[in-house]
Amino acid sequence: MDHQIYILVIEDELEVMDALVKDLEEFEQKFPVESANNAEEAEQVVQGIANSGDEVGLILCDHVLPGKNGVDFLISMESNQLFTDSRKVLVTGQAGLEDTIEAINKAHLDHYIAKPWKKEGFQKVVVDQLTSFVIKKGYNPLEFMSVLNSIRLAEALRGSQLTDH
Amino acid sequence: MERGFLNNRETILSFIKRAISESEELQTMVVPFSRGDILFKQGDSLKYLYLLLKGSVGLNRRNEDGYSLDLLKLEPGHFVGIMAFSTGKDSLTTGKALEDSEALKISQTELETYLNDHPRLRHPLQQLMMSNMADRFMKNLQLESKMHQLNEKLEEEGEQLKEAYKQLEESHQKLVHQEKMATLGELVAGFAHEVNNPASALLRSSESLITNFEKLSDNDSLSGMFTIGLKSAPMSSVDIRERMISAQKRFPWVSERSLIRKIAQMPDSAHVLIESTRKKVPIEKMVQQFEAGKFIHNIQVASERIANLVKSLKSYSRQDNNEAELIDVRNGINDTILVLSNRLKYLDVHLELLDIPKTKGHLGELNQVWTNIIVNACDVLPNGGMLVIKTKAEGEHKIIIEISDNGPGIPEELIDRIFEPNFTTKNQGAKFGLGLGLAISNEIVRQHGGFIRASNKKEGGAKFEIILPVKLT
Amino acid sequence: MKLNTTQRIGLLAGVFGLIVPFFLNIAGLSEAGHVALGIFFLAAAFWMFEPFPIYATSVLVIFLQVLLLSKEGLIFTSSDSSYSPDSYTAFIGTLANPIIILFLGGFVLAEAAVKYNLDKNLTRILLKPFGSKPKFILLGLMVVTGILSAFMSNTATTAMMMTVILPIVARLENNDPLKIGLALSIPFAANIGGIATPIGTPPNAVVIGALSQQGINIPFGEWMILATPLVLVALFFVWILLLGMFKPKTDSVQIDMSGSFNTTKNAWLLYIAFGLTVLFWITESFHGIKSAIIALIPVVFLTLTGVVTKEDIRKLPWEVLWLVAGGISLGISMKSTGLAEWIVGSIEWNTFGSITLLVVFSGVAILMSNFLSNTVTATLLIPLAVSLATSGVAGEGFNLIIVSLVIGMSASMAMMLPISTPPNAIAMSTGAIETKQMAKAGISVGIFGLVLVILYAIFYWPLFLN
Repeated sequence: MDHQIYILVIEDELEVMDALVKDLEEFEQKFPVESANNAEEAEQVVQGIANSGDEVGLILCDHVLPGKNGVDFLISMESNQLFTDSRKVLVTGQAGLEDTIEAINKAHLDHYIAKPWKKEGFQKVVVDQLTSFVIKKGYNPLEFMSVLNSIRLAEALRGSQLTDH
Repeated sequence: MERGFLNNRETILSFIKRAISESEELQTMVVPFSRGDILFKQGDSLKYLYLLLKGSVGLNRRNEDGYSLDLLKLEPGHFVGIMAFSTGKDSLTTGKALEDSEALKISQTELETYLNDHPRLRHPLQQLMMSNMADRFMKNLQLESKMHQLNEKLEEEGEQLKEAYKQLEESHQKLVHQEKMATLGELVAGFAHEVNNPASALLRSSESLITNFEKLSDNDSLSGMFTIGLKSAPMSSVDIRERMISAQKRFPWVSERSLIRKIAQMPDSAHVLIESTRKKVPIEKMVQQFEAGKFIHNIQVASERIANLVKSLKSYSRQDNNEAELIDVRNGINDTILVLSNRLKYLDVHLELLDIPKTKGHLGELNQVWTNIIVNACDVLPNGGMLVIKTKAEGEHKIIIEISDNGPGIPEELIDRIFEPNFTTKNQGAKFGLGLGLAISNEIVRQHGGFIRASNKKEGGAKFEIILPVKLT
Repeated sequence: MKLNTTQRIGLLAGVFGLIVPFFLNIAGLSEAGHVALGIFFLAAAFWMFEPFPIYATSVLVIFLQVLLLSKEGLIFTSSDSSYSPDSYTAFIGTLANPIIILFLGGFVLAEAAVKYNLDKNLTRILLKPFGSKPKFILLGLMVVTGILSAFMSNTATTAMMMTVILPIVARLENNDPLKIGLALSIPFAANIGGIATPIGTPPNAVVIGALSQQGINIPFGEWMILATPLVLVALFFVWILLLGMFKPKTDSVQIDMSGSFNTTKNAWLLYIAFGLTVLFWITESFHGIKSAIIALIPVVFLTLTGVVTKEDIRKLPWEVLWLVAGGISLGISMKSTGLAEWIVGSIEWNTFGSITLLVVFSGVAILMSNFLSNTVTATLLIPLAVSLATSGVAGEGFNLIIVSLVIGMSASMAMMLPISTPPNAIAMSTGAIETKQMAKAGISVGIFGLVLVILYAIFYWPLFLN
């Protein structure tokens, strides 16, 4: 890989952010984690990532945030062509049905994680989403097999006309 | 008038009776009726006209809905069936003898004959008819005015009923609300008990964990890291990012990003400790110790938050017994704010709670007042909006609570209506019933002997003032 | 594009290698031979250090030969006593060499097989008889991998088999050595299985291409007769080796491959095309129709029926064809310029016995292809061996076909490192194995492979080749 694929976490409660980042630690050797406490900060972070030629593979976003809420942030990410492919996940205990429907329809929400989350289920979602991202982007699956879903990556590899040389 | 002497119905009747006694022909026309005999039925077309000589006849009408109504009681000297007879239309009523009676039964042709052949009778009969008509008209007028009186009375009673209904509605709403709060209170009491157990287990366990940890690590620098972690509050992501850059400079030999992130979240004292033990203790171990401390710190903060939340939820929704107690209104305001903290999270809340005397009242009920007003403000305020709550005493006998915001204010055309029951600008029932309406708030304050005043501030935003008297007994 | 240090060295060495022979005057080597030597140096340096993708180097090689060595090129416009230049069509014609067409047929079949899940469904059926005992499951997986990789690319076979074994690996207990055994068995079996048919892996193509330039045609079926017994023994050895090295703890392994054969019209057309083509290939010696011609059957049939579409054709691994063509093309000028002869002549070959020579070629091929592409290894070594054999300096018993087979098959026996072959890289990236474990097993296979190839070269192949 000639560039980084970031995981972006947006959460305003610092203790909760701590716990989220801790559960993402295992991915950090392949996917550096960036964090933001509100949507405005996240927009700056995302811009910085884009400016250095890197990508955001996965956005994990709380809904109730000071200022712009999580769903609105995800919608703005969806409409930015740099981040349309970024996988978008809502991590919240507070989004109502309407917000969630809006997120699914307008931000193409890929997954919803309800708080409180469990590490195993949380990490499975992260693995699945990042795997989808890597496959969609057509990156070399071999680089990610040891961290992500190796079966799905092998399946992608099978369809990609690999050859001997 | 030359024939004025015939005006009196009885006089005319006696004149007619005399005429009957003088004429055999007329005598044959006198018909007796026993009580209950039907003279004619509603809907009959009448061939005969009856002049009642003795006894009485009732006129009765059955309406289309089947309701039967007694209209008139006719006495001697009255014609029976005169309306139908003279108009030629079907009878509107049923004529029935109310007692044993006698009447002169006159057919159409006979009547004309008599009128023509017996000029002596003609005049009295005409007079009698006129008198009958006049009677009926008088009666009509009386009825008309009676009806008017009745209508007025009905209207008055309607008003009273409306008022009573309104009161009923208010007290019903209040009852429902009280019932809701009582249920909530019970739920919360049970819930608080259940939550307090795990919360205290969390708190206690984390304390034990701390002592265990301290005993476990035999290395001073490791236990030092743990202690530092224990005192470290989590950092904002902006700070973390900034400190990650400087941490990378300070510890260039650390290549793992997640490790740098953790180091960045340490205070400088921990950095010094890491540098001083670089050769002796692996950095991963030092960081793990710090993290252990930090996570225990997070557990403590979180479980304390749970405990506090439960405490204020309990006192907020507590069941008032009917007896008023000596209360400090400010406690209730503080509880309310804690309970609503989720909604107030992104508002700028200013409290100016000056000393106020205690007063007798129901704290739980008054909390509903603060809740209603604050929730209404939350609904209209944008993120970062300002909410100001002030308390002050006016003299020794009055407490003023002022809740104001910098939102759009109350539309002027609505400001007089907001305390009416069922007044709302939002869909009712959309939110869990904390904001059940200002009417209840108004009622609660009124029962405490005070009143609420709503107004718009000159600089914009709504202001609610609650004035309560200080009651010591 | 940023080059690392090794790549920079390769780039410099290649450019230097191309230029230097122009300024030398080597006795006994023609003028054209000097040019060919320069191109050979450049190709070797570029292929070994990969400053550019190897297929790019291959096209570059073809282009340089057209430019510098063809009749239409810049230097040799007419024949003289020392060099009669080939037409440029000889060089670019390698892109349509029969072996390239044979591979194209194989690619189309493999592509369609993956598209209609034939590979997975065959695996499912073929694995059934092997039960649930771990050692037989391991054997079954290897046999199936071997069979599939004989007709599909080793790499594609490995990728498909990974989707079969990874769920098993995930269910095994963490410390069960069977995990490692399984993860190693697939790439090893795929590497070995590729030897079995001419279309199994590109080094085979290089061998066949080089031999055909010498007028020697090896029919599809005959190759299989020569190679399959060797493949079977090698697979058996790997099976025993892995069972010994990584003794399974569990006593039952469940493979849950569900699915059913695709029964659409297109799928049936594919099955028919696949079956017929393979049948005709294997029976080439009976009917005499060249395998490259037969290879056109699936290409024609599957594209006419729309089973394989434009999109599928675009996805074919064309770069492999370029790679092989570049190798064949390099062989042409090495021979025609007298370069190969000169190289052969400059070494005192007759001091070695012919068996020693075979051992050396096999050893060098295995060693080289552990670090380089197998095809490149074969490409660089085979012209040498061909010249050696045709010049007769190596003496009697040094058979042209045998030495080519030794090199070609030895190149496929390299599986020591993750970089040795793409199948190894896939297995490694799953995280189930450590490099150390792969190296240990890979070295054993390499040594055994060398012995095996030599034994076959001495005792088995001569039975069919005289």
